[in-house]
Amino acid sequence: MPAPSGRLARLCRKELKETLRDRRTIITLVLMPLLIYPLLSMTLNRFLVSATAEAPTTYMLQADTGEHAEFLSFIIDDPRSTPPEAIRDTAPDLPLAKFEYYAGGEVSPMENLRAGRIHVAAKVVESSPRQLVFTALQGNAASQQARRILVERTQWYNAAVAREQLENLSGQAVPPALEVSTHEIEGESSTPLLATVVPLMLVLMTITGAVYPAIDLTAGERERGTIEAVIASPVPRGSILFAKYIAVVTVAMLTAVVNLFAMFVTLWTGGLMELLLGKDAPFPWLEICQVLVLLVLFSGFFSAVLLALTSFARSFKEAQAYLIPLMLLSLAPGVLSLLPGIELTGPLAVVPLVNIILLTREVLSGTVPTVPAIAAIVSTIAYAAAALGIAARLFGSDAVLRGSELSIGSMFARPEKPRAVPTVSAAMMTMAILFPIYFVASNGLSLLAPETMAGRLVVNAVALILLFGGIPLLVALVSKDRLRSTFRLFPATAGSLVGAFLMGLGLWAFAFEAILFAETLGIRALDTSNVALAQDAKEKMQQLSPWLLLATFALTPGVIEELCYRGYLFAALQRRLRPLRTIIVCAVVFGLFHVLTGNVLRVERFIPSTFVGLALGWVSWRAGSIYPAMVLHFTHDALLMLVIRYEKWLQVSGLDVDSEQHLPLMVLIPAGLGVAVGVGLVQWTARRPEHDRSLVSTDPPPLAEEG
Amino acid sequence: MLEARDFEKTFALEHGQLKAVDGLSFHVSPGEVYGLMGPNGAGKTTTLRMILGLLEPDAGYAQIDGFRTSEDPDSVKARLGFVSASDGVYPWLSVREMLLYFADLYAVEPAVASERLEMLAELMRITPLLDRRAGALSTGQRQRVTLVRGLIHDPPVMLLDEPTRGLDVVGSQTIFEYIAHLRTVGKAVVVCTHRLDEAERLCDRFGLLHHGCLRYEGTLEELRQQTDKKTLVEMFVELLGEPTPAGSVGHAV
Repeated sequence: MPAPSGRLARLCRKELKETLRDRRTIITLVLMPLLIYPLLSMTLNRFLVSATAEAPTTYMLQADTGEHAEFLSFIIDDPRSTPPEAIRDTAPDLPLAKFEYYAGGEVSPMENLRAGRIHVAAKVVESSPRQLVFTALQGNAASQQARRILVERTQWYNAAVAREQLENLSGQAVPPALEVSTHEIEGESSTPLLATVVPLMLVLMTITGAVYPAIDLTAGERERGTIEAVIASPVPRGSILFAKYIAVVTVAMLTAVVNLFAMFVTLWTGGLMELLLGKDAPFPWLEICQVLVLLVLFSGFFSAVLLALTSFARSFKEAQAYLIPLMLLSLAPGVLSLLPGIELTGPLAVVPLVNIILLTREVLSGTVPTVPAIAAIVSTIAYAAAALGIAARLFGSDAVLRGSELSIGSMFARPEKPRAVPTVSAAMMTMAILFPIYFVASNGLSLLAPETMAGRLVVNAVALILLFGGIPLLVALVSKDRLRSTFRLFPATAGSLVGAFLMGLGLWAFAFEAILFAETLGIRALDTSNVALAQDAKEKMQQLSPWLLLATFALTPGVIEELCYRGYLFAALQRRLRPLRTIIVCAVVFGLFHVLTGNVLRVERFIPSTFVGLALGWVSWRAGSIYPAMVLHFTHDALLMLVIRYEKWLQVSGLDVDSEQHLPLMVLIPAGLGVAVGVGLVQWTARRPEHDRSLVSTDPPPLAEEG
Repeated sequence: MLEARDFEKTFALEHGQLKAVDGLSFHVSPGEVYGLMGPNGAGKTTTLRMILGLLEPDAGYAQIDGFRTSEDPDSVKARLGFVSASDGVYPWLSVREMLLYFADLYAVEPAVASERLEMLAELMRITPLLDRRAGALSTGQRQRVTLVRGLIHDPPVMLLDEPTRGLDVVGSQTIFEYIAHLRTVGKAVVVCTHRLDEAERLCDRFGLLHHGCLRYEGTLEELRQQTDKKTLVEMFVELLGEPTPAGSVGHAV
């Protein structure tokens, strides 16, 4: 029974009433911003005022004696010590620095300097010529500045006196050696502070606003005991969820608007608006309108994602547990927007959340690229719709309503009996744990790794073994998963091994073409600054033993990564998903992990790595074993290594591979043949992938339990 | 009026499976109160949830007025009223707003819903509560509001799941009166309860469930003849003492 529009409006109104009357909503909606912003502005004021305070124009100077002070005053006040026009023109607004002479009395200039009472301590040594010694306070910008000005003034004085003396001697005017004049041009406009701060604020505000109603209208509905009555009614869940969505979006937007208003008033009254917009900027009508429109996008996205998460939860507590990681995750792309150089282009335009954050930055900087902006908006709407679809499926679904025995906590419990393969949730958890550990480890390694190339390769290989081999193994042992079936260590036919080897010989050519394809999509392999680094690394590798290269670059990833992706993850997913989906998910996870290398995102590696991951997944599935995937992975990596190692030799032999051009047919055809024969061999000689299917029946027998 | 046919439901547990309902069929006529009885875990609530469309059965269907849950679940849902002891209220809505919201969920015209609300409020003595915040009601008041909610769309079939659980004598008495009212207005009523003494007084016919199967069915007199026992309590004790027949009604499959 579809919900007519009038009824849908009434459903929305009910959800809104319910959530807006709740005092807790009002607290987050109104009270928090009223409290937070004045506090925030006080801190910000203090920070900004001290950071942007203008340099003083009058400095305190103390000489060792009264006479010397007079002498210094005579020099500094002499028009010959003032900077020439060309220098003064560079800062026309700045007045000439003045010096006041501190009468120290009994206290020595050094003590006064240390105590911060003066900027510079001066000493005059009576000799020929007279020596002036200026002492400044270390780490004090004003003191250093004063000393610099004093040194410059005396230099101008020296130059002017020298010139006068020369003119007196020669009896004619002495032209200067150089005529100097200065000009200024406008550089590329940098991102205004507003464009950097607002995206982060939008993320925080919309999440803050949406969290409570999202939990209350979904998990709360179950906790109150109203969910069954609602689900038992003949209204489609989609309509119920949509009404809830509208309520959550409204509250999120209201919260953000109240927040923005409070922030705006605080900034305005605190006199901080100038800092955000620049001096003499007009009232930011346009920016306000833009932010309001972007707000719809942020609220729409977060409300849907939050509803999807909270619909799965059975209680408030559980929902909150799901939301904390989401909040932390959302802040990461928020911080991304602070980094220069990351732009709304290529694949970033469709990365959830990152795209709208970058879009906000571009909009507020006044530089919106049309196509990526449209891509960002359309993809965000699609993600919100997908999340809402998931929410509608989860809300009141069988598992949620029944209060299933399988809680989140059960994922950590050790099973009583051995399992054939890991559960999907366990595998996903393992991958989720691996990701941050790998990120931290690869960052750490790039800082701590030994100097030599060989040392670094060995450390990397050991890290790979410990993380991608060690962690799944540890989880499997703790979860009592049978290692043979968990890592799919089943025997493979000789034909499939040979086929995998042949595929490995030819596949690199297609992976290479995938890189070129990625480039046509706007994903550049390496920018110019990285090309030099890559070239340097390549040259160092060419000095190394080929055996070391094979061991660290081909054998270790070939074995360990396969155990992780086509073994552990594959076995878990295969229990729930169809083979094709299992292969795709494994390949995408494989591709994503390859994007992350140290502290650099190598986005261009995603397509080729995923492509190779698909081939590895297929071979492994078809053969019903991990071993052919290992052979293929090893052969593929080894061949690439050897090409790099013997690049010069290949160039001499006329087999140079230009990294910018498509491969010649004389390379593509044999490579294609190799892959075709390999695929054929794997297809026809592999045993039917029964090993994997048989796993289901090797599960422990069901237990009799009380219902 | 209501017909349940060959219901089956198996749940996947962390280890193995549980057959909660195994080939269950029964029917309830208009004006008849049917007691679906059984010990904990017998499959009563699972059966009600399958009729309500809260759970997808593995096999079987429920039928009301010719509409089957397997073919047109929404038409079945529209003809069902449901009250359970664990029902809650929306704490921040007024009683009137909440009841009209449920009327809306069942596509009752707003004008008709308001009229019906006044009539039911009168019947269940909640008229003074209508404009109070639902979160501020006492347990007894909340229960009566829930009973009105189940009837707001005038369904021909009512399902009551443990309606007297956690209620005092007065609360229970309200339920008995409610069920008596349902019978007089010709509703087909299914009541799941543990309170066997009450059930004996209330129900016209009984279905005794054990391990997901209907073991005995009929009026109290018919059950007495089938089991040679006088009271429902004695019949239950005998039922619970039975060994679990292997294969047919076992838990684990």
